[in-house]
Amino acid sequence: MKAAAVARDVAARLTETDSIGLNATLDWSADLLDREAARVDAMPAPMPLHAMPVALKDNIVTIEQPSTCASKILEGYVSPFNATAVERLRAAGAMMACKANMDEFAMGSSTENSAYGRVKNPIDHSRVPGGSSGGSAALVAAGVVPVALGSETGGSVRQPASFCGIVGVKPSYGRVSRYGLIAFGSSLDCISVFGNNVANAAAVLGVMSGHDPLDATTSPIPSLPLAPVDLPDLKGLVVGLPREYYPADLDPGVRAGLDRTIAAVRAQGAELREVSLPHSKYAVPTYYIVAPAEAASNLARFDGVRYGLRRLKDGDDVADMYRRTRGEGFGPEVRRRILVGTYVLSAGYYDAYYGKAQAVRALIAEDFRKVFAAGVDLLLTPTTPTPAFKAGEKADDPVSMYYADVFVCAISLAGLPAMSLPVGRSQGLPIGAQIIAPMFAEQRMLAAAQVLERVVSATEEVR
Amino acid sequence: MTWECVIGLEVHVQLGTNTKMFCAAANSYGEPPNTLVDPYTLGLPGALPVPNAEAVRLGTRAALALGCTVHPVSIFARKHYFYPDLPKGYQISQFEEPLATKGAVNIESPERGPISIGVTRLHLEEDAGKSLHDRLPGRTAVDLNRAGVPLAEIVSEPDMRSAAEARAYLTLLRQLLVYAGVSECSMEKGTLRVDANVSVRRLGEPKFGAKAEVKNLNSFANVERAIEVERARQIATLEASGRIAQETRLFNANTGTTKALRSKEESHDYRYFPDPDLPPLVLEQRWIDEQRATLPELPAAKRARFASVYGLPAYHAATLTLEQPVATFFEKTVLAGADAKAAADWILETVLTVYNESGTFPVTPDRLAALVLLVKAGTVSKQAAKAVYGELLTTSDEPADIANRLGLVQVSDAGALGKWVDEVLAAHPGEVARFKGGEAKLIGFLVGQVMKKSGGKADPKAVQPVLQEKLSG
Amino acid sequence: MSGISRDDVLHVARLSALEVPEAELDHLVAQMKSIVAMVEQLNEVSVEGKATPFNAGPTQAELRPDVVAPQPLAHPLAAMAPGFAGDFFAVPRHTAMEEA
Repeated sequence: MKAAAVARDVAARLTETDSIGLNATLDWSADLLDREAARVDAMPAPMPLHAMPVALKDNIVTIEQPSTCASKILEGYVSPFNATAVERLRAAGAMMACKANMDEFAMGSSTENSAYGRVKNPIDHSRVPGGSSGGSAALVAAGVVPVALGSETGGSVRQPASFCGIVGVKPSYGRVSRYGLIAFGSSLDCISVFGNNVANAAAVLGVMSGHDPLDATTSPIPSLPLAPVDLPDLKGLVVGLPREYYPADLDPGVRAGLDRTIAAVRAQGAELREVSLPHSKYAVPTYYIVAPAEAASNLARFDGVRYGLRRLKDGDDVADMYRRTRGEGFGPEVRRRILVGTYVLSAGYYDAYYGKAQAVRALIAEDFRKVFAAGVDLLLTPTTPTPAFKAGEKADDPVSMYYADVFVCAISLAGLPAMSLPVGRSQGLPIGAQIIAPMFAEQRMLAAAQVLERVVSATEEVR
Repeated sequence: MTWECVIGLEVHVQLGTNTKMFCAAANSYGEPPNTLVDPYTLGLPGALPVPNAEAVRLGTRAALALGCTVHPVSIFARKHYFYPDLPKGYQISQFEEPLATKGAVNIESPERGPISIGVTRLHLEEDAGKSLHDRLPGRTAVDLNRAGVPLAEIVSEPDMRSAAEARAYLTLLRQLLVYAGVSECSMEKGTLRVDANVSVRRLGEPKFGAKAEVKNLNSFANVERAIEVERARQIATLEASGRIAQETRLFNANTGTTKALRSKEESHDYRYFPDPDLPPLVLEQRWIDEQRATLPELPAAKRARFASVYGLPAYHAATLTLEQPVATFFEKTVLAGADAKAAADWILETVLTVYNESGTFPVTPDRLAALVLLVKAGTVSKQAAKAVYGELLTTSDEPADIANRLGLVQVSDAGALGKWVDEVLAAHPGEVARFKGGEAKLIGFLVGQVMKKSGGKADPKAVQPVLQEKLSG
Repeated sequence: MSGISRDDVLHVARLSALEVPEAELDHLVAQMKSIVAMVEQLNEVSVEGKATPFNAGPTQAELRPDVVAPQPLAHPLAAMAPGFAGDFFAVPRHTAMEEA
């Protein structure tokens, strides 16, 4: 009974991470694990993800557990339906291991914005695991589960993958159904995957991917295969290095990690080429108009009427109930983003902010399209400007926190697939390299990553 | 100081689909509260909209029936406001790029004669749920059955100048939409809702005055009343040097007045933006053209055809084409052999009353045609035909058989008639003499006597010539 | 575009139905000012014509057949709703929206 053994093992590891205070989970139970295992053990034949335990970021809904988005406003909320991604994973024999902690409503880059406490980076507990999918990243980095689902709106899987030294893959927008992903930025959100290696992440992505009639933004293209193509080397590939992603003041550890990776890419036979993505510096400002606007809209449904938290005092009318429920139920970062989002959509400001941002977004996407059209197959950049920072370091400076995503959010704006691969350590802290592919070219990206994974050590000191 | 009233109407029509606009929950009426719901209807986190193909088709057909241009590309947009029966905190509607624009309908204005009323736009959106304020003491009860039902919002140009014109517009709008088969358009059932934008200005003033949006109108009659009441209120206010506030007012049918909503806050900033969950709605021009080509013959064209092809007077043509099923019934009756004018008369006098009350036809076109033919042939008199018709309603017998059974078959055979004529002439020698002496009017009396003698069975039209002949002999 | 004011913040708070405690307001306004200043970097970029919203998804909506097939609900409404009575969602009255 393979699944049952796996389930017991996962339960033991979860108990241990609880005892060391990682705070990576928001809900798990041995009982549920056992039931998942029994379901899988009863399956007639070995399935593509047979008995694979998967942690789920708490913004991905399931029927058996609460989905809180790490917010007070959804405390105890249990969805009456499963996310499509969950249904597909379960059908492929995977077991839902636990719900993972996150930045509240996926807004953040450190998982310090959770209403249920911050998550610790397993490599160094005084540091953040990144965000917003920090809980999922920590669980894979701590060896509790081999894979975990997170979500990306502006880099929320790649960035924590880089901080925690694991693989993090964001598919093309529209590749994986968002039905059952609690929405933050609808035109940006992608269910994404953490893995202890490229192969496992690719398998999970393959199972989840493909058109869903319940999500009108999924692409009609066929789903991905379960395994990347096995390449012997990178001969024939053209790898671009966008100069805007290699600023002079890049953290020396990150620079050393990327230098090692670039050397490996060259050694494996790929051609390296310097390219330019001229609108890169507008990515963070563009993102912080588009994403909050969509968030303000998506979070309008949390009002205490039909589900979730309700805060009511005697004499309140329903408008008071809304204001009190939302004011108390949302944390400070969520409130800030709702206010910014409402502001940029409000009468008189729409063209100047949201309209403008969508136009600039098109320019950013065009930068990538031009570079790929000129014969570049993949782009290689650092994932993050620094290794994991200390908890509390950026807590009072929202804008500084936003710039943690400076290398990942342009890709989200363009809807492209990208991933972070661990390429070494700097003074013990993980360094991640980002590979970016053209739209729907995940296979190329995963194949190349698998080659690099073989030849670039994830744990060696880079300098 | 002559005042002019300017009226624009916003009509919301529920489309007759099986499912809601953006999810597969049922679009139905009269079900127990909160049973026609699914994750999307409830606004649950993680649920997503997927547009209903039939709603798009019916919306397109509605727009074409109103003479609009249907745009090959239109965009769904979110319209934000907070209200307990709006589950997502926004309504998916269309804003800058609606499904259709620039239509027009021709009405007969009691004051101005035939005029054209512009239709600014028609767009698709989803309905909100219902808030009931008297179901739970001290609280509002929310039922989401209606939330998500497909709506076509139809906005008119401010082209109307009187309550009567507004009513005429609504009557025609309803007729066109029912003809096009897109909605049952019932104000009682809430499948057609009307808001009226009313303002006044001095005659000749080019600028529009501040307008009040009048809501809570539950019948065409109340739309008329509310407009008249609001017009009077605005004129009185302005004449007393007051100001008209641009606001929403509710019509109270009991008191016959309009009253402002308590709050005048947040003149609505709906923060429209294109819905990122929905790609653009793209329709092929070929498909749009096909929808136009397959629209049924619309009332104006049908009226004109009835007048020219069937030779019907304007009133008959108009009444017969008010509703498509009646028009079809008429045409089938004519197809089955009935004379058009006679068929029209019969339908207008008898069939229509029943149809208007029950929505069903008391007889089939074939049987009615058969009766009309009997009358035309003289087999039964018009009088007797009424009795036969009565029987048609309760039996399934053919008119000819009924006429026979009831002994209503007229006698027009000259031989049989001649016998009765002879008897009457013999019984009334004085009148015969007076007739022969020049009192031509006595023919009527003699015909009457023959009718009596025959027990009503003689065909009076056939009696006269027989009488004439025998009298001149 | 010239930055966000205290009144702007109060206005959008009202629009978003978010209660902001007086004690937090100044700090919040300062943070919002720095965020808005950051996003106003977009002033440097010129874009031609009317902006069509960028979307990485499909170029046209796929329509759904008109067949009743609601996604089932595994838990009853009463279990999820903070206020539920007699088959209705129950909320306080909305005094501002009712007739004066």
